[in-house]
Amino acid sequence: MSELEQKIRSEAERLLKEGLVDVVIAFRKEDAPLRPQPAFFTHPEDLENLTYNGLCANNLANYLTRYPRETRIGMLVRGCENRSVNALIVEKQHSRENLYLIGIPCTGIIDWRKVIALTGEDILGYEDTDSTLIVRARHQTFRLPRQELLHPSCQRCVHPNPLSADILLGEALPEGDPTLIRARVESFEALSREERTAFFRQEAERCIRCYACREACPMCYCEECFVDHNTPRWTESGTTPAGTHAWHIIRAFHQTGRCTSCGACERACPMDIQMTYLTDKLGKDMWDYYQFAAGMDDKTQPPFAAFTMDDKKHFQAGGKLS
Amino acid sequence: MKYLLPKNELYSRLARWSAEYSILAPQKVGEYSEFLPFTAQSELCLQEPHNTRYPAKALFFPQSETILKYNRISGQLESAAPESQKRIVFGIRPCDAKAVTLLDTVFAEGDNQDPFWLARRAETFLIGLGCHEPCATCFCTSTESGPFHTEGLDALLTDLGEVFFVETLSERVEALFSELSPAEAAQQEIALAVQAAAEKSLPKVFELDGIKEKLDRVFDKEIWAELSQSCLGCGICTFLCPTCFCFDLVDEAQRGTRVRNWDTCMYRVYSLEASAHNPRPTRRERTRQRLMHKYSYWWEHAGKLGCTGCGRCVRYCPVGLDIRAMIKKASAYESEAQHAN
Amino acid sequence: MPTNPSVPNPYLPTPMRVLRAYFESTDRTLKTLELSFENLADKIAFFKKFNPGQFCQLSVFGKGESPLGVASAAWEGDFVRFTVQRMGSVTKALHELKPGDTLGMRGPLGNGFPLADWKGKNLVIIGGGCAFSTLYALTKHVQHPQNRPDFGQLTVIYGARSSGLCMYKHDIQSWYQRDDMEIHQAIDVPEENWDHHVGYVPDVVRQIAPSPDNAVAIVCGPPIMTKFTLPALVSLGFPPEAIFTSLEKRMKCGLGKCGRCNIGSKYICKDGPVFSLAELNALPADI
Ligand SMILES: Cc1cc2nc3c(=O)[nH]c(=O)nc-3n(C[C@H](O)[C@H](O)[C@H](O)COP(=O)(O)OP(=O)(O)OC[C@H]3O[C@@H](n4cnc5c(N)ncnc54)[C@H](O)[C@@H]3O)c2cc1C
Ligand code: SF4
Ligand code: SF4
Ligand code: SF4
Ligand code: SF4
Ligand code: SF4
Ligand code: FES
Repeated sequence: MSELEQKIRSEAERLLKEGLVDVVIAFRKEDAPLRPQPAFFTHPEDLENLTYNGLCANNLANYLTRYPRETRIGMLVRGCENRSVNALIVEKQHSRENLYLIGIPCTGIIDWRKVIALTGEDILGYEDTDSTLIVRARHQTFRLPRQELLHPSCQRCVHPNPLSADILLGEALPEGDPTLIRARVESFEALSREERTAFFRQEAERCIRCYACREACPMCYCEECFVDHNTPRWTESGTTPAGTHAWHIIRAFHQTGRCTSCGACERACPMDIQMTYLTDKLGKDMWDYYQFAAGMDDKTQPPFAAFTMDDKKHFQAGGKLS
Repeated sequence: MKYLLPKNELYSRLARWSAEYSILAPQKVGEYSEFLPFTAQSELCLQEPHNTRYPAKALFFPQSETILKYNRISGQLESAAPESQKRIVFGIRPCDAKAVTLLDTVFAEGDNQDPFWLARRAETFLIGLGCHEPCATCFCTSTESGPFHTEGLDALLTDLGEVFFVETLSERVEALFSELSPAEAAQQEIALAVQAAAEKSLPKVFELDGIKEKLDRVFDKEIWAELSQSCLGCGICTFLCPTCFCFDLVDEAQRGTRVRNWDTCMYRVYSLEASAHNPRPTRRERTRQRLMHKYSYWWEHAGKLGCTGCGRCVRYCPVGLDIRAMIKKASAYESEAQHAN
Repeated sequence: MPTNPSVPNPYLPTPMRVLRAYFESTDRTLKTLELSFENLADKIAFFKKFNPGQFCQLSVFGKGESPLGVASAAWEGDFVRFTVQRMGSVTKALHELKPGDTLGMRGPLGNGFPLADWKGKNLVIIGGGCAFSTLYALTKHVQHPQNRPDFGQLTVIYGARSSGLCMYKHDIQSWYQRDDMEIHQAIDVPEENWDHHVGYVPDVVRQIAPSPDNAVAIVCGPPIMTKFTLPALVSLGFPPEAIFTSLEKRMKCGLGKCGRCNIGSKYICKDGPVFSLAELNALPADI
């Protein structure tokens, strides 16, 4: 058991024993290899199952909206999770007073897809160490350099440290290089129209509309998602190009100024579909046009959700399109 | 009959068959595999220790399919024509072939048989590839199947290194293999040993005896809340599952078609009624439905278990929920509760 | 191994035409549609299978299908009646149909009432809200001189929230003149000029206290009414085998294929929608 895991466990134990929170949301040991599971601890005795390592792939902020605002939640947060929590607080999805954020400076989430591409899917066990992931497959044990295995979103992460945690476990890490995420978007923007279309189609048209990307996203908490609405219907229902294109475009647009680029959507997708290039493009636009980045604090409204008196007139009642 | 198919003759053999049949075989799309048409350029993916990621059921029951066309003005209706084609599905794993026979009990038995399923099924041969090295997330030996089970297959291949040992299981595929040299007793023995070793390498994770009764008894217990807590309610475990068959019927007004799409009991809207009443309001009831359907209701419908142990839901669940652990916990819950009494 | 691909498309509706369409309630949420068959063969096939208690999937092309209980008896004529409550997309579109418009229909679907088992029995028919439609079909069926001798006494108890929501008004008014049945109507709260019962259906049932002797009770209504009427009947001495109800759940195929409407191992569309309380008690609470 790692030192960090031990620290998380002690802190969770303290919170539960002292009755400071009703539940601690963290991870527990896996049943299926490489897949630690989100877990909801309410009794200190259960904490022996708590685990933490680079394969804890989900954005736990996703579970925040399942609880009433009164529930006192202790939650493990990495940089992006903390930002998602902030964005959710801005959207009034929970009250900050009822949250206790256990912050972890994040060394990045390991992408299971990159692992199985190297090891195959017949995995018996693994160990995540500082620099190496040791994977025990049926015929061979692999020692893989950790940095290369990180999920692309983590490789270009700008803010690995939780911004507003109640306690920080471990030393704060240096900030990430902000040009990386921009460079990725810029390289997409630099493609010709045909190339962009081709890339979009190659990704979107593999979609099986399982909505795991939506369900894994902390910001997709709508009671009724636009794809489920039937009066009127907004998209074609099936896995036709028209249906999958509409899903990918509109889902991305709904994240404008809200997505924290955690990559949980891509990690959930069963068809290995890339989609952060769309949300990251929108994130870059938010920065370039409005100097806004999602989740940097828990007060500032995203530009598309905010209203001020000096807004251009056409958003006001009675205003005219100029 | 038993034959030997040298591996280096596989592609030419498939090419020859493709003159008469359209051939579907596992091929890579990026890092995962799915059944795609075999062409001269195809590179097959037969070496993975498990099945394709996208399930083979889609070859008979596509995810989205037009079932009728209509003209809104004239009211004219037209049934879509069921597609029938001579096909060979090559390299299907035993769990997936068994799943096709399970789906036969839904679409091809009793009243109101499904013409789309029947048409695709009638002229499609299933040539299976046994799993000589089952994957750690596979558990077919626990679910009335196994790495070399033959249910649903027209022929089964066993990988013997340089050659495939071929066992034909139905009259209708005999002609496909008749040019091959027959297998000798010695080779058959090797094949049997490979098969037995594979079976042995996958010990049972649970006994099916009594599981249905145990699950029925915990239907209204809290265990489902515990098991479903982290579930996202996505479509992965059911869309990728080779035995899930739930579908939706939807009108595509612009196209004038009614389409059938895969649907899943894991979605909230699946059971949501127009009155806003939802008999399965939370993931607790929805997870229970998925597990109970497979491990309880299927027995009553078809006299068989509804899970073939293919392991897809285990491998691809984005929160790591493992149906093996879930079934074990749910069926053990009762005994704990009984102890408490 | 399935070999016979030449079976008909069971998802293909038969073409129908609106014969009559009229509002059933003063608030215009309930509309009755009477549909005629475009093809003789479809008509023959329908009436060969039809039994009160069954339902059909009505299609408005471009909108989809909705399951609706048949509200007419076969002897009433060459048409099929439905009473539709406006809820969402399909039912709204059904409300917009005018005489002469075309639509699609699949059915009859489901088991319907087990009339053969009820031969010689007294029938206690208890309905509430728009779910009374299939009970109306049942009553009409029993009333026919050819069918009437098959059954004993006939008692109908029908409740609605207000008089404006009472369906099939003129016809039901005439039932008071019949000497082969008893009719009791109730509304939830008192209204001027209402000279029938006032109160909730379960209470009215207790008040009327139909005898369980050689009787079956058939209950269809909103879930809350059914929930409280079933124990009322049990306390009157009706055994669970003699109490019947019709279930509703979201449906798509109506054929036991799409998986949508299951309760435990039963599909409501195929094994139901009519179940006895004894059968219901054996099913898991998944409704
Ligand atoms: C066996 C049976 C008999 C019924 N009989 C009648 C009747 O006689 N009169 C009447 O007014 N209503 C009846 N209903 C309810 C009626 O089917 C729903 O109100 C209707 O389907 C709502 O569809 P919508 O498109 O207007 O609503 P939406 O909310 O737009 O629903 C979309 C789709 O969901 C499905 N759906 C939603 N709610 C239900 C539901 N409660 N039951 C079944 N499917 C649903 C339908 O496929 C519908 O097309 C019956 C339901 C069943 C199951
Ligand atoms: S995609 Fe849009 S509508 Fe759907 S849940 Fe997400 S934010 Fe809501
Ligand atoms: S998770 Fe992937 S396959 Fe599923 S809906 Fe999202 S993009 Fe499509
Ligand atoms: S794949 Fe996992 S998260 Fe998704 S619905 Fe199934 S059990 Fe839930
Ligand atoms: S339930 Fe899971 S293991 Fe069983 S057949 Fe379905 S996907 Fe495979
Ligand atoms: S009810 Fe659920 S588990 Fe059963 S077939 Fe449908 S989607 Fe699969
Ligand atoms: S409506 Fe499809 S199974 Fe009942």
